[in-house]
Amino acid sequence: MRKEKLRDLSFFLSPMVLMVLLFYLVPLIMTIYISMTRMKNWNVERYLTEFVGIYNYERLFYMFQHDPTFKAVIMTTIVFVGITLMINVFGGLSLALATFFINERAASSYRLLWLLPRMSPIAVYSLVWYYFFHGSEIGTLNSILMSLGLISEPIPWGQVTPWGAWSVIIFVNGLVGVSFGMIVFTSALNQIPKELVIAARVDGASSWQISKRILIPMMKWHLLYVLTWQFLSLLTTYPHLFLLVEWDLVNRDYGTTLALYVFNTAFGRGEQDQGLAAAAAVVLSIIGVIGGFVTLKVLQFEKMMKKPRGDF
Amino acid sequence: MKDVETRPKRYERVIILALLLASLPLILGFSLLTISSLSTNMVTNLDPDSFHSTLENWINLFKGKIATTGGIRVNIWRITLNTLVVALGVAGVVTGISALAGYSLSRIDFRGRKILMVLLLILHAFPGVALIVGVYLLYRLTFPQSHDLVGLYSFIYVILARAALEIPMSIWLMKGFFDTIPWEFEWSGIIDGASRITVWRKIMLPLIKPGVLAVALFAFLAGWQDIIYVRTFLIHPTLATFIEANIEAEYSHMPLIAAAGTVYLLPTIIFFITAQQLLLQSYSGGIKG
Repeated sequence: MRKEKLRDLSFFLSPMVLMVLLFYLVPLIMTIYISMTRMKNWNVERYLTEFVGIYNYERLFYMFQHDPTFKAVIMTTIVFVGITLMINVFGGLSLALATFFINERAASSYRLLWLLPRMSPIAVYSLVWYYFFHGSEIGTLNSILMSLGLISEPIPWGQVTPWGAWSVIIFVNGLVGVSFGMIVFTSALNQIPKELVIAARVDGASSWQISKRILIPMMKWHLLYVLTWQFLSLLTTYPHLFLLVEWDLVNRDYGTTLALYVFNTAFGRGEQDQGLAAAAAVVLSIIGVIGGFVTLKVLQFEKMMKKPRGDF
Repeated sequence: MKDVETRPKRYERVIILALLLASLPLILGFSLLTISSLSTNMVTNLDPDSFHSTLENWINLFKGKIATTGGIRVNIWRITLNTLVVALGVAGVVTGISALAGYSLSRIDFRGRKILMVLLLILHAFPGVALIVGVYLLYRLTFPQSHDLVGLYSFIYVILARAALEIPMSIWLMKGFFDTIPWEFEWSGIIDGASRITVWRKIMLPLIKPGVLAVALFAFLAGWQDIIYVRTFLIHPTLATFIEANIEAEYSHMPLIAAAGTVYLLPTIIFFITAQQLLLQSYSGGIKG
């Protein structure tokens, strides 16, 4: 490599490399290290050098077999990821298709409205749903159902285990994720040649037939993309669940996914156990990285990376 | 885009209505919060009788009287400023780093470029938040001894750590914007004897101004909305931690918190209305890769 090029590259890339090293690589190594110590309550001075090998992983495995709380967390993770993923993919698809068939002005205001959950401050977003699903009569859902005469007294939705708690966290997170699918599918729809839709219209096809026979088959790659990407992000997301659990809107055990469990075990109230949290984080990271590689292979991203055309 | 003129108007109305119905909880939730901030008590139960209009919450909020009975005073401006500093910091760091890296990935052919791009994709999908235990240990190990520096240090650290989460996605976005600029602009600069760094600064950056703005906007909103990182690393309170602490606290007057929430939501709404096209376009532009 020429000297000049080396200088240019280090100018352009070193800040990024530094960030990746500092906030991804070093923390990854540190997380793996902590998972092999007896770290508690962030007592770094005392526990940082107390090496215990795979003891935390054994504990995790033991809890997986015998601890009902941890079993609830695992069940919650599976149900939460599975159902929210479906809501995200099909909700996003329906929104994209629905806004495709209406006039541009109405379409973009709906798209904007559905971006709101992702963009609004997490604390405000949680506050909104805190009141919506509140267990007393000030809860919006309760008061609607009561005035319709469907229920006679308020139901503490998030405390009904397991499905009440699961429904609340799936609903709240589902709305956040829907916008991702919506945006991806909308941009995919815009790239489909207009002539196809026009031809089908002339032949007398309905919107439903056009969607099913033309639009959806042409978006296969995008469906796969949203599916895999959203899977990874749901597996590791917890900011939108954190406050719901902390404010006791949802049941602690059935409102906590593995990612939130990691955070609360390391930083939550009461006894903190960073060794255990780190071990769970490592397990989560392994799933995440494997999932990431599988995603790249399935989506054939590498083929899309072309060489810069005019560089010399 | 778009479906053709032959589309029946009748169906359009049905679809719009169905969308409205599906969006109802969303609209209801956000409006009830805002309306409650103008009332003496929360109106989330949809009962018009519980709405007694008052501006007291807003007046108290701006005076920093956060408790109507307890008398605990919180300076809301200071808290808003903290939130703003974090958000602006994240926006600055993310925009700067991704404008640099995005250019080189788009325009320079070097060994390891492909691997770097794959790595960034993996990092984007990777559980970045799952590493927070390690990120915190690094924070503890580099914590300054001197008492005066602690506040500044926690600000810098939270900005960098939060920015790191946004960087992989933003670099891809930025690369996408650079890709749209014809090479001829760049060649003309290089032939005149300018270095790549000069070309980047003088020719390319001005050409992708909308892209830079979009990335900065996304990063700003990411920093602004954050709760996990600010509550873990930042010593000073932000609007997020303020709201978190005041729910269910016995001394807090909820409509006042609703007003604080509305203040917190305001920048998001303003950006939405002013930059809606930019947001929608760039979001999809970045995903194409």
